[in-house]
Amino acid sequence: MTAADVYAILPLIVLGGASVVVLLGIAVHRSHSLTLILTLTGLVAAFLLLPLVSIEAPRQVTPLLVIDSYSIFFSGLIIAASFIITVLSYSYLSQQRGHREEFYLFLLLATLGSVVLVASTHFASFFLGLEVLSVSLYTLIAYSRKEYGIEAGVKYLILAGLSSAFLLFGMALVYSELGTMKLAQIPTSLSNPSSGVSQVFVLGGLALIVVGIGFKLALVPFHLWTPDVYQGAPAPVTAFVATISKGAMFALLLRYFTVVNIHNYPSLYLAFVVIAIASMFIGNLLGLLQTKLKRLLAYSSISHLGYLLVAFLASGPLAAVAVAFYLVTYFVTTLGAFGLITIMSNSDRDAEDPEDYRGLFWRKPWIAGSFTAMLLSLAGVPLTAGFVGKFYLVTAGIGSALWLLVIVLVVTSGIGLYYYLRVVVAMFASLPKGSTIAPAMRISPHFTGALAVTILVLLLFWLGIYPTPILRLIESMVTGFS
Amino acid sequence: MSALIFFFTFALIAVGAAVGMLFSRNAIYAALLLIVNFASVAFLYLSLGAPFIALAQVTVYAGAIMVLFLFVIMLLGAERLPPSQELPWQRPLGIVLAFLLLIEAVYGIVFRVNSAATLSLPVVEFATPAEIGSALFSTYLLPFEITSVLLLVAVVGAIVLTRAEGGARRRALVSQITQAVATEVPEHKAETPEEEKELV
Amino acid sequence: MVPLSYYLMLSAVMFFLGVLGVMLRRNAIIIFMSLELMFNAANLAFVAFALYYHSLSGQIFVFFVMTVAAAEVAVGLALIVAIFRTKHSINVDQLSSLKG
Repeated sequence: MTAADVYAILPLIVLGGASVVVLLGIAVHRSHSLTLILTLTGLVAAFLLLPLVSIEAPRQVTPLLVIDSYSIFFSGLIIAASFIITVLSYSYLSQQRGHREEFYLFLLLATLGSVVLVASTHFASFFLGLEVLSVSLYTLIAYSRKEYGIEAGVKYLILAGLSSAFLLFGMALVYSELGTMKLAQIPTSLSNPSSGVSQVFVLGGLALIVVGIGFKLALVPFHLWTPDVYQGAPAPVTAFVATISKGAMFALLLRYFTVVNIHNYPSLYLAFVVIAIASMFIGNLLGLLQTKLKRLLAYSSISHLGYLLVAFLASGPLAAVAVAFYLVTYFVTTLGAFGLITIMSNSDRDAEDPEDYRGLFWRKPWIAGSFTAMLLSLAGVPLTAGFVGKFYLVTAGIGSALWLLVIVLVVTSGIGLYYYLRVVVAMFASLPKGSTIAPAMRISPHFTGALAVTILVLLLFWLGIYPTPILRLIESMVTGFS
Repeated sequence: MSALIFFFTFALIAVGAAVGMLFSRNAIYAALLLIVNFASVAFLYLSLGAPFIALAQVTVYAGAIMVLFLFVIMLLGAERLPPSQELPWQRPLGIVLAFLLLIEAVYGIVFRVNSAATLSLPVVEFATPAEIGSALFSTYLLPFEITSVLLLVAVVGAIVLTRAEGGARRRALVSQITQAVATEVPEHKAETPEEEKELV
Repeated sequence: MVPLSYYLMLSAVMFFLGVLGVMLRRNAIIIFMSLELMFNAANLAFVAFALYYHSLSGQIFVFFVMTVAAAEVAVGLALIVAIFRTKHSINVDQLSSLKG
């Protein structure tokens, strides 16, 4: 490693350093607000370094990481989302008893793991980044150590462990045939006719890797953990699982399967088509049956990842732009929705029952209005970010003539609209006379959480009405990764 | 020929131990059988020219990880496993998976094209601890640093998840453990979560 | 000498025994041990092919996997202890309080 290599990975070093500073800070003086400030400083410093690093991009740092504009864009997205989640966590944890400070340490380290994932070009960095993310998430999910949280943590632990094992065995199969773990060498080893590569084993290995990735993305049929973990985890952690963990994994999926051209493997391609259609249908249909809001958002996220697969399968430069833009809108909307759940939750439980939201508009018009905006964006209604994102997905799909997938996308979006609107209608319904207000509704939101949500609402409309600047940015950064 | 005998001896021990673990009704036996499996795989690593990995296998897996398992099993008093009622779909699924395994094994041994490739130890020294070390601290320095981050997560995570505080039931458990550990009953009863932590 | 495919088959057999363990057993600790068996099986394939290709990367990767396994076990067993404290059971069938 040279000095230039170290310079290129400065954001990673800053994130790692910030976690050590936070740890030492907790040891010296246990203070919730001090820990928050240290964490936010670390995140901001890492974010501000990204433009400086991008001057040197693209740069291959050892065989393991590549710092190109693609990884820098997604690192920025991850760090920004982590900033919002940190602020929301402060609002959430202010009401909790017990030790709260270590929470931020895990947020920082999970962010670090995600940034490693989006820059990974080698199985080792893939696996290690994934595990740093996963092991941090086990702790974060069970952090409250209430019954629900621990149960969700154990479920996530067992299923994530299983998927890691599948991923690892898939990597072993690919390595056994190709003799390399470097992403860039996989296509060349594959096309080398003299090596006598058995396609069956490579295909089997890639399929097992897809199982591992599909679990993290909660695609059908690897989605079984999602509703339970979403419900059991603290709301900010659920936001992390829904956005950063999935976004980082999707960025990695796009990079790996663009290099290993997925169109060379018809059976794998078909498997992805089936997974996409199943995710869109299951996500939207089972979402109809949910009454608890966090479970509803779990099925919503399953269907959104299905939509993203449409652009992924379309491939080509437009697809990468569509995926990146959709991920931005998905991040903003999902963070907003979970942010609102966060600021309405109290120390006993997260606000997710239907009673918590009935007639919300008449008591907290701002919260109800913001929530309506987020749900409409998730449903993809015009003037919101979700609509523009979905428009680009459909454009990418049509561009590659994926008619079946596009039709399924449109039809299932229509089904999904119903359950989002059901929540919206409940919020505007009038309260029956003499009814008691659910305890979760009596709290007034912490100003940090409210500020974060306000920013997200503004972003939502900005992306929905005038997406051109962010699209220009994405077009200049995301296309053309090696 | 001797290499084949060596391979089959340890392969059979490894598979036998794994099967034993799978059907063991006693968690301690299961853990011990898994240690046997890890140890026999370590012998195979030695025959594959990987002395460093073989010793790491013994110290890290058999030595550290499995001791942790045994410790937790005994801590929870979960040695005897109640006969578990199986879910209806489990047995068919198990049979199907076992069948798939059989097919794959037959395919691999009989039909695999380049199965003729055999392994022999290279003449020159391969994968000595010195070589592993220099690769680990040059090409693989970055992932090595990431593993240190991972261990940090694990250390703090384990402490955060098991620290005792709050909750009536938990308090009862804590005082149980405290009494079991201390020979004399502690002079002052725990009043607050913080004090409990000190006692434990 | 030993054919390479024997190692791959041994690795596959151990991996599927691990899968069976996760599927069939209800005890969280045994399930967790089966996961370790699966990791171990993949490691064996990596080491065998590291020798075949005469490249160190397979062995180094196994070293990282061992570290990962240790980290997972530390946090995983902590979680299992925590669930035992709240539920007095480590049977995964009892993990059913989360539902819609």
